[in-house]
Amino acid sequence: MGNVLELQGMSMSFGGLKAVDNLSFSVRENEILSIIGPNGSGKTTTFNVISGLYEPDSGDILLQGESVAGLRPDQVHERGISRTFQSLRLFGNMTVLDNVLVGMHTRTKAGVVAAMLRLPSVRREEAAAKAKAQEVLAMFPGRFSGPRQSDPAFSLSYANRRRLEIARALASEPALLLLDEPVAGMNPMESREVMEQIKELRSRGYTILMIEHDMKVVEGVSDRVIAMDHGVKIAEGSYQEVATNHLVVEAYLGKRGAGTAS
Amino acid sequence: MSLDHIVTVTIGGLTVGMIYALVALGYTMVYGVLEFINFAHGEVFTVGGYVAAFTLFALGVSDQMSTVAIIGSLLLALVLSMAVPAALGLLVERVAYRPLRGRSRIMPLLSAIGVSIVLQQLIIIVFGPTPITMPTLGISSASVSILGARIRVLALVIITVSVVLMAGLTYLVKATRIGKAMRATSQDMEAAEMMGIETNQTIAFTFVVGSALAGIGGLLVIMYYGSLKFDAGFLYGLKAFTAAVLGGIGNIPGAVVGALVLGLTETYGVSMDLGFLAWFVVAGLLMGLYVQLVLAPKKRLQHISDDRRTPGYERSIANIYRLAPYLAVRTLVVERTDALRSVSARHAVRLMLGNLFLVVTAAVLFANGSSRIDTRWQPVIAFVVLMVILMFRPSGILGKHITEKV
Ligand SMILES: Nc1ncnc2c1ncn2[C@@H]1O[C@H](COP(=O)(O)OP(=O)(O)O)[C@@H](O)[C@H]1O
Ligand SMILES: [Mg+2]
Repeated sequence: MGNVLELQGMSMSFGGLKAVDNLSFSVRENEILSIIGPNGSGKTTTFNVISGLYEPDSGDILLQGESVAGLRPDQVHERGISRTFQSLRLFGNMTVLDNVLVGMHTRTKAGVVAAMLRLPSVRREEAAAKAKAQEVLAMFPGRFSGPRQSDPAFSLSYANRRRLEIARALASEPALLLLDEPVAGMNPMESREVMEQIKELRSRGYTILMIEHDMKVVEGVSDRVIAMDHGVKIAEGSYQEVATNHLVVEAYLGKRGAGTAS
Repeated sequence: MSLDHIVTVTIGGLTVGMIYALVALGYTMVYGVLEFINFAHGEVFTVGGYVAAFTLFALGVSDQMSTVAIIGSLLLALVLSMAVPAALGLLVERVAYRPLRGRSRIMPLLSAIGVSIVLQQLIIIVFGPTPITMPTLGISSASVSILGARIRVLALVIITVSVVLMAGLTYLVKATRIGKAMRATSQDMEAAEMMGIETNQTIAFTFVVGSALAGIGGLLVIMYYGSLKFDAGFLYGLKAFTAAVLGGIGNIPGAVVGALVLGLTETYGVSMDLGFLAWFVVAGLLMGLYVQLVLAPKKRLQHISDDRRTPGYERSIANIYRLAPYLAVRTLVVERTDALRSVSARHAVRLMLGNLFLVVTAAVLFANGSSRIDTRWQPVIAFVVLMVILMFRPSGILGKHITEKV
């Protein structure tokens, strides 16, 4: 096996627009696979379909050999795919710790009655969940220490909100982690730090599928790279291979020529 | 107004306020999650009251029974007046709202009004059009004396039960797994879904909790007033909805605060003589003047940037905020300094007019010192308070629950 995720000829359109067109690729166990491509090339849509937000028009999505296409987002999450968002979507009014605990929803099971009665089993589960959440937050040294864990998420700095989204996604120990532009909007120092953390996640055994525009980061962390344009996969291989592929160069140049580059 | 009168009125106000709160919580929780006003919620409250009274009648509760049997019957009524409305809320959500989710906002609203009518008719069909009454029990009329005032035991029971329920709800929402799921769902349903929360289940649960609370509200009302009509849910629902908006719709503590403010205002409004009411206006005026004369100029002065800090400039700002609209106007006309660009003359005029209005109101009230407002004015008072508060705080006392998408 070795393939954590396998996309087989997946297509997704909105009205007349084919956002993703017959896309196939696979993510191997414990690798970092990056997707690059000009804006609007269907990268985020690919993530949305994988996470169950949209049902693909055709094709299949296999997670560890089992189809997850057509499942609800929460079921997909439960099976082991968790993600971050290009435009941050934290639960702003909830605390840092609670955001991570929500990420563990499918990994806990306390029922209402048991929770209201504070049964010992619930207390044990809550303590374990809290410890786990703190362990996840500790992956970002100095960022979410002590009292900051009870701050509401909206009060965090932009970079910390991006970090918190990663922490929330990691809380369920997903078999596959989807990162949608994890360093977007960060300064070079911050992105270098996040880059190191992504590599660290790989050494901890995580499998990562990442969308990223920052070519330094893509080059720095990717085992393999896929390039998309207009919903179609146009190249796949090592960073060097993809970056020098003439279709990829044209896709980016073409966009620039038309004056629509990001 | 004597002390015992104040105690009586305050406890009366808290009692109705708590009942409004129990119903208001359902409105606000559902709004928090779905941004939709469940107009059938008032009927769920009525059903709670009917179920309670029906249960007690079916059990043949009377003072001849042993205390244990009475308490047991009341507990059974309590459980049923939660369970039946909860099941009803669940059913309504499943049948009338969920299929319409994601459609234009008017459709679930129409559906809710339809459900409300259907439920009222069902109550008439099942129980008949005459009001249902409570079996008469000793505790309904029992009373204790607090600070010289005779207070019905039931009022204290209502307040206590409500406080306990609200504490429980706070704990549920803040600390438990399902509560976190509810909050996450209300802030960003899609993101919550992708984080593994089954949002349909969470929404259904929200309806269950809100309906159960309203059901208990129905039980408490029928115990307190002795009878309930099939259309009682309309007025209680409207009041509770008002309370929810008053506190900030979608905001759980807001619903309780709004309900208490509403309950107290209604009760105080009709039980105070106008001379006493005038003192409230005077107190409000003094508080307002303090803010305008001392706090606002101070704050304003702190905001002047250093390069404009000349004594004359500071003085003119302070003057303008010391409620001197004529100064503002004069400066505007004569001096045309920069000062007025950052200070609005209109604002000063508005404050002045507001103060004048309060002074006149106080004078009128003092002049009619010994008369009272008729009880029939109660809903009008409630409405006026709502309008006034919303004029100054459009998003409610504690603010709307804003779905911050960070
Ligand atoms: N929910 C949607 N409804 C309609 N069109 C969409 C939707 N989501 C994405 N699209 C369109 O699909 C195309 C691909 O978008 P996206 O996947 O966000 O691109 P990328 O992430 O590569 O920048 C764009 O043209 C976008 O406008
Ligand atoms: Mg994108």
